[in-house]
Amino acid sequence: MGSLNKLLCYSIFLTYFLCIRCDDFKEELYIKPLPPTHLYSYFQFVTLVNSELSSFHSHLAPRSLAEVVSRFQVEELHLTLTEGQWRHHQWGYPVLDAAPGAELYAWFSPDVIDVDTQWKKLSATLSGLFCASLNFIDNFNTVTPQMALWPTGAVKSSQNITTQLRYASLPREIVCTENLTPWKKLLPCESSRGFSALLNSRMIHNTNYHSIGVHVRKVCKSNDCLETQLEFKQTVALVYDYDIIGSNDWSFRKLFGQGLPGACPLSSDSKIYVDVTSNNTQSFTLTPPPDNVIVSQRGGSDTKLAVYNVNPDGQMINIGVKYKSKLDLPVSVPPPLHFTRYILGYGKEFGGIVTEITNNCWTSIHVVVLENAPWWLPIQLSSLRINGEAESSLVQSQYYSPGRSRQKPYHLELLMKLPPKSTTTITIDFEFVFLKWQEYPPDANHGFYVGSALISANLPTARNYTSVPITGSTFDSFVNASKTWYPIVFRTNGAMVSLPTPDFSMPYNVICLACTVVALAFGPLHNICTKELVLKPLGTPVSLTQKLLNLFKKKKD
Amino acid sequence: MTKPETKSEVEESNRMWASASFVGVLIIIGLPLWWKTTEVYRVSLPYDKISSFDTLSHSITTELTVLANDEATASEIVGLIEKAFEHSDVIKLKITKSILSKQLHSTLDSVADEVEAVEEVGAAYDLTKHNSFYVVQRKPLFQDTWLAGERVMFFRDAKAARTVVETLKRVVYQTSVVEGAKSEAADSARQTRFPPGGGYHIVLSVVHPRPDALTVELDAGEAVEDYIGSFVDELSVLHNFTLKSQWLHLLDFDFQAKEVRDTSDFGRHFAVRQDRLHLLLTKLEERMATHVSELPTINLALYAVPCERAPLVIYDNNDKKVQSHVQAFMSPKWGGVVLGGPSEPNCRDARVTWRPNVRVVMGTFISQLRKLLGITDAEHIEGAHLEPLRSVTPRQWEIDNLLRIRTLEQLTSAERTLQSLAQLLGEISNIVINDEVGASINSAVDSIQQASSLMTQGKLVEAYKMSQSAFLAAETAFMEPSLLALLYFPDDQKYAIYIPLFLPIMFPVVLSLKNLLLWFRGKPIHKEKMD
Repeated sequence: MGSLNKLLCYSIFLTYFLCIRCDDFKEELYIKPLPPTHLYSYFQFVTLVNSELSSFHSHLAPRSLAEVVSRFQVEELHLTLTEGQWRHHQWGYPVLDAAPGAELYAWFSPDVIDVDTQWKKLSATLSGLFCASLNFIDNFNTVTPQMALWPTGAVKSSQNITTQLRYASLPREIVCTENLTPWKKLLPCESSRGFSALLNSRMIHNTNYHSIGVHVRKVCKSNDCLETQLEFKQTVALVYDYDIIGSNDWSFRKLFGQGLPGACPLSSDSKIYVDVTSNNTQSFTLTPPPDNVIVSQRGGSDTKLAVYNVNPDGQMINIGVKYKSKLDLPVSVPPPLHFTRYILGYGKEFGGIVTEITNNCWTSIHVVVLENAPWWLPIQLSSLRINGEAESSLVQSQYYSPGRSRQKPYHLELLMKLPPKSTTTITIDFEFVFLKWQEYPPDANHGFYVGSALISANLPTARNYTSVPITGSTFDSFVNASKTWYPIVFRTNGAMVSLPTPDFSMPYNVICLACTVVALAFGPLHNICTKELVLKPLGTPVSLTQKLLNLFKKKKD
Repeated sequence: MTKPETKSEVEESNRMWASASFVGVLIIIGLPLWWKTTEVYRVSLPYDKISSFDTLSHSITTELTVLANDEATASEIVGLIEKAFEHSDVIKLKITKSILSKQLHSTLDSVADEVEAVEEVGAAYDLTKHNSFYVVQRKPLFQDTWLAGERVMFFRDAKAARTVVETLKRVVYQTSVVEGAKSEAADSARQTRFPPGGGYHIVLSVVHPRPDALTVELDAGEAVEDYIGSFVDELSVLHNFTLKSQWLHLLDFDFQAKEVRDTSDFGRHFAVRQDRLHLLLTKLEERMATHVSELPTINLALYAVPCERAPLVIYDNNDKKVQSHVQAFMSPKWGGVVLGGPSEPNCRDARVTWRPNVRVVMGTFISQLRKLLGITDAEHIEGAHLEPLRSVTPRQWEIDNLLRIRTLEQLTSAERTLQSLAQLLGEISNIVINDEVGASINSAVDSIQQASSLMTQGKLVEAYKMSQSAFLAAETAFMEPSLLALLYFPDDQKYAIYIPLFLPIMFPVVLSLKNLLLWFRGKPIHKEKMD
């Protein structure tokens, strides 16, 4: 018995010892030209930690984030801060889509009973951590998506996940350097070494689209998923415009202002992937030549990736592309599913939101559309029209939760089957609402932002699909990962409405005017009630003051 | 003549009543109504109790038992101690004297080792009780007194009485430090230790500037749990502690060290000026992520100096080497830093690996933690022997003394907070005191009174807990953001609204007061008319 105990102790000690350094950090950069005029670069920093040890003692994982996750019992967390709008129609699909402004959604552990309080605390803490105004997340702009969002990490299949989910987006949030600096501090190499050294705020904010994100989830350690690990993924997505760079030929120095000073010495794997599929149509040369080129066949589309393995030797690397000839304008093939969203109506009484979804595939696609309208934009389910019809056979399931003034947003979810080669138009009307004068934001005449709609789809083809499969965390898993369908969550463009906005100096003017009128009316009234007109006979003795007054009168004459 | 006169008199009385009703509506009803509706909401507070707080009057009763071989020695020792503590206004001793039992007397005289003797005393008396202390006579002693880690001090005979008194005063009770806890200005111990609080986070950060050139083999989490954990477990009566560790890679700090040749293995060392070191803290603070914790954080940092800059030696402001086994420094109310690095033979390896001496490093951190948490180092007294610390655990009487210091500190701090809040409320009229703040002020006042009475009864641990809740309640009341809800509603804006309304209305009403008063007294209003 004693020896058995000893052995047990020893083995526990051994596993413990082995797991001290089982934190694993990887950095990746994925570059894809988006012809004709844009270039997409996507950074991904993945830290895997043993979830039992992570919260109090951290090695490579960011302690601040690990502590927040463990303190609020978060199972999975996604935070993105985005400036600009991803153009799905032109650019195809990003690796991870993000709503403009700030977007935060999280699943809490089933042990959390009061999810709303925990959610508010979480958003307030993250707001401090990332210097973003996430503290404005409250019940009135939070929804619980029923169908549109599913955890990407490992969760127990028995638990009810939807009740533990909260989603909020702040479309007005402006993302800048003050968000990037704390984001960089979460990386083990900070910004001194490795790929993060390229994230020079002067250069990356000079883009058409930039989005920084933090994604925390639980992943299985092995196939049987008896043990889980915590994955911290930090991402940066940038879309450069060739017009801003000045030419079609790009290089690290042009994009980021400097070369890459080697890999982060703490990363176990540092790789750069350049998508060279478009080389067939528009030939260019990559300098320096890649270490190897891999061809990935996935869901009916072939992708050629040039791979660079970067070593932590501190040597400057400057990868660049030179086009052989002047760029021709290629015919852009639209992706299988694209969409657009706009506001209808005129005047300040009624309006409508239209979401148009186009399915370019030869098969039908199932999508979930989540419309999330703030309380000051009441949408009525009765006014919902799909392709102009109130009762549409396309809708397979529907969820509607009416909003409540200043407490709850309007939330509509539709599960739809989009027929092949078709465009579906979803229209819903809203009324404009008068706000209280303190509820108007500064510069109210600028307009009010309406957050993006979420469209979650299972695509039958992987054309334009760049996401990493759900089971993988790095780009290795991207290669030849053919599946029957490819899940993705899109964000449509946001919209802007202009609510009836009063003249804010009006209340004070009214008070002053009303007071003056009251005062003017009061004087004569008081005089009539309390004074008496007395005839004064001539020759009566005159008082001293009267004499003085008379003196003045005479002088005037 | 009578008829028109009566008519005018009637009219005049009508006019006067009209005027009076204007006054009545505007001044008698309007003004109080306006006053009441624009009043700032304040819960009634126990101002009299708050103003009657006397921060300097607190004293703590503590038990002292003197055990001597005979009655005469006991009385002499007790007499001297009583005389010495007579004027101490903070520590009131409750001295019990008794004669050692025959059996214990003989064992104490016969055991060779003091540690064994302490065990013997422990078998007969309860040494685990907080706020008690035993002064025991033991003949075969080489020094005058011998102070153990437990709540026991041995003395040789009556001649050692002076040393006994000195040791009690300066080491065991540390009256100056305890008094410093309630004084207006902070003494050096108070400047070093963390402000009182319900709990602390202790974060060990291993700073590793060159992970590519140096491998540091250290399990930071285990080291913290083992060493710091067993230290703070002993202090669990005072605070809750949460232990954490993290690694900060590639945090490079320019020490601006000067290379100095010497005779060590390296043949050189790098001299760092002491005044340069605090800049390291700023650099550390950038990445420590201390702000995510909800409690105050005590920072401990181990800086791994890479080979090309090893060894670093701290020089003081007079360009003299700081004589110390470990290169370390402490920043009051922030934490401690230990500078370490591989030794010379290690640096000659192709792949340099440094295994920090965990005992030494953690020992240094613990000695820094002791000061940061409020345990002051005992001064040496002639003829007195202090048993040196053998393990990480603090001495029992040190914990008692820390309890006393913290109780007093929390109590005086809570009192001063409430007093300044009361003063602020008097000076700034538009501070709101809502029901929650009012409740927490009231609970702070109650806790202060209870803690104060518990202290005089000598129930130290209960008094500490009570003073802590008083302190926390007072702090929450003072820091409550709702206090400032109306602070930025300036008076001039109020007048911008009031003046257009009240000035034109109040002028005729106030002026009519004179006539009204004259009429009420029955005096003629118009002199001309009388003529």
